[in-house]
Amino acid sequence: MPAPNAFWNRKTTPLFPFALFGGLSFACCQYLIYCYAPTEAVMGLMQKIFYLHLPLAWWALFSFFVVFLGSVLCLFKRAPRADSLCAAAAEVGVLLSGLALLTGMVWARKSWGVWWTWDPRLTTTLIMWFVYAGYLVLRGLDLPEGRKTRMCAVVGVVAFLDVPLVFISARIWRSIHPAVFTSKEGGLEPEMKLTVMACLLCFGFLWAAVVWLRKRQIDSLAALDRLARTGATAFDATKE
Amino acid sequence: MDTTIWLTLANAAVWIGLGAYIAFLGLRQHALSERLAQWERLQNKHDKDD
Repeated sequence: MPAPNAFWNRKTTPLFPFALFGGLSFACCQYLIYCYAPTEAVMGLMQKIFYLHLPLAWWALFSFFVVFLGSVLCLFKRAPRADSLCAAAAEVGVLLSGLALLTGMVWARKSWGVWWTWDPRLTTTLIMWFVYAGYLVLRGLDLPEGRKTRMCAVVGVVAFLDVPLVFISARIWRSIHPAVFTSKEGGLEPEMKLTVMACLLCFGFLWAAVVWLRKRQIDSLAALDRLARTGATAFDATKE
Repeated sequence: MDTTIWLTLANAAVWIGLGAYIAFLGLRQHALSERLAQWERLQNKHDKDD
């Protein structure tokens, strides 16, 4: 039977504020998106997708940066905790980049008239999604633990090569995808900028809560597996 | 199609995606708790046998 204050224990507490602020700030963001930020003159209401699309994409890129850092730690410091962080961040990154691709496709259908076009930004993002989906498949394989950790760490480092390319693709190649924060003309109204910053922050809270929770789940599962293995070995030894 | 429908479509994709992942995390947490409870039951039985 868990203790009455188990909800507030040391391991749960850091998760709780992130989840709480994430939920509350999502509600505030809905107000900012639909009531505070002005409606764009050309795109109209359709531009409101941008306030979800940009945070999804940026937090997906950040997730993959965390996978890269964790993989470097796994390779050079042999930090076992970093491996579960990589697994959690990669899962969340694939989810967020998938959703960014989906919202981008809806945007493209309305503004460009097509669901998909082989634009540099879109193509590099799709490649990134497939690479990290492959990384998750690799993590799901039944391989010896040490070998799997090393293989995943190597893939985690190599896969990151595509991430900076996604970020700069709209700036260095001729792309129809807008690079909002570098455009010299146009850009965002101050109210729009504030709204997008608030959305970035609230997705950040959600990201931290979900990655933290998933990492804890992976760590607990690994600990239970280890316990089961040692328990089974001890049981076999008593039988002999 | 009307702009509102496109906007609703994009929002639905995001919230269904995030909701599905959170539901998946909930199911994993439930499975983990079940396994932990089973382990505790086995441990208690083992202690009693000793």
